[in-house]
Amino acid sequence: MKRLLSVALGIVTSVGGFLEIGSITTAAQAGADFRYKLIWSIVLGTLCIALLIEMSGRFAAVSKHTIADAVRERFGLDFFLVPLVLVLLISLLVLAAEIGGVAVAVELVTGIHFPVWVLPVGLLAWGLLWYGTFSIIENGVSLLGLITIAFVVAALQLGPDWHALSAGLAPSLPDKRPAHYWFVAVSILGASISPYLFYFYSAGAIEERWDVTYLGSNRAVAAIGMGFGGFLSIAVLVVAALVLAPRGISIQEYTQLPLLLTTHWGRVGLGLFAGSLFITCLGATAEIALALAYQVAQGFGWNWGEDLEPSGDARFSLTYTIVLLVATLLVLTGLDPLKLTTLSMALTAASLPVAILPFLLLMNDETYLGEHTNGWLGNVSILVISVLAGVVAIVAIPLEIAGGS
Amino acid sequence: MTRIRLVRDVLDNQLIDTTGQNAGKVDGIVLELRDSTAIVRFVEIGPITLARRLHRRLGEWVARFDARLGQGRGAPIRIPISRVSLDSPSLRLDLSADSTPIMALERWLRRKIVRRIPGS
Repeated sequence: MKRLLSVALGIVTSVGGFLEIGSITTAAQAGADFRYKLIWSIVLGTLCIALLIEMSGRFAAVSKHTIADAVRERFGLDFFLVPLVLVLLISLLVLAAEIGGVAVAVELVTGIHFPVWVLPVGLLAWGLLWYGTFSIIENGVSLLGLITIAFVVAALQLGPDWHALSAGLAPSLPDKRPAHYWFVAVSILGASISPYLFYFYSAGAIEERWDVTYLGSNRAVAAIGMGFGGFLSIAVLVVAALVLAPRGISIQEYTQLPLLLTTHWGRVGLGLFAGSLFITCLGATAEIALALAYQVAQGFGWNWGEDLEPSGDARFSLTYTIVLLVATLLVLTGLDPLKLTTLSMALTAASLPVAILPFLLLMNDETYLGEHTNGWLGNVSILVISVLAGVVAIVAIPLEIAGGS
Repeated sequence: MTRIRLVRDVLDNQLIDTTGQNAGKVDGIVLELRDSTAIVRFVEIGPITLARRLHRRLGEWVARFDARLGQGRGAPIRIPISRVSLDSPSLRLDLSADSTPIMALERWLRRKIVRRIPGS
């Protein structure tokens, strides 16, 4: 019974971990600009992150090692530092975007411009980590995240064109604005396949003392949780295709995002949108800050653990404090939250090959996994998707910045 | 006889002390050449050794900063290899890290910063 409960919570957690400012924004842009045509990229991204999450849970359960730990041990200092610095820099941008997302949610409700809320939001997130425990953050924030089901209800109520929708499941070439199409496609991949998510997940598995008996639950959590997360993203895309596209609205500013739910539901829609944005972005903020602190602490062999008192792991606690502070200051420099979000998602996609390859090598190392190493299908899918996403992102980012279409 | 591959099995691996706490990674290994035989003498732990691996100048800079932190600091932290045993893929120390400078930064941060914030 307890195991069943932990699986259920795990699934809810993955849903909470999946939908955040990045996936909401990129799915909304895709629906607004290309209707159903980009659904395939959400499916592809979801498949990839589900595989990666299963792998990182399996790695931790079998080897009792987190990924950052093992990358350092197996590949040495230099090969640990390169992905660390890269993931750290990009995740700081993503973190800033998430903090911006929470602040924007408060603006939507209060009407007071978001920069005012950035500092309080940073403090709130820090307080959650400093005073909370792993399970409070994971389960509490995630249960509240179920509010995002509002997007599914909205999509069904509006009645999508099921034929066009299913046609979007297969990748297709764009009929207009090709550069923008590929940019949005890789942004979606970057929003779905967040490297911080599998660092976070493997550390969580260690904090909850998983062993090989958890492999079944791990598989269920990864498949159902990430699958449901992807399903929610598709719902956002569908709503955008039905609400924004027919009106010719392309998302240029974050203030347009609530239109997804306010167009038909008015004030209730505004509350639901703001609630979804607030909870999912706050959850992502806590997860990213923790994930980065985990990565640093594990790589240098420090004490770490969200369930320890901060005085039991001073270096770890101060690392997430500094990470949150830097990201908060980044938002305060006046970066536009929407631009910050799409750019950081595309950059995440560009970094995927470097962030994922060492991990993939570890997943095939028998000293850590014994008989539980990866099968060829998992290896090939992850390799192909991450390399493709990286290459397309490197081409598409300059084109998008240059304003090409 | 078990073969130990120093770079694979020792360098960069996790150290765990007698109290079960993480005591850093093996950041360096010190060998001594005696009658043309190399003998492993110490493992080194800590930021000075780490910085030296990246760049000599960076190592000197970190050492100068470290020297300011107290008597006997400013040099890499060395633990005799006799206090280390293999528990693959981790390594065990037969001493408590709190009695060594390994935890000096942790203790300093705990005392100077963390304890001053309520709820720590």
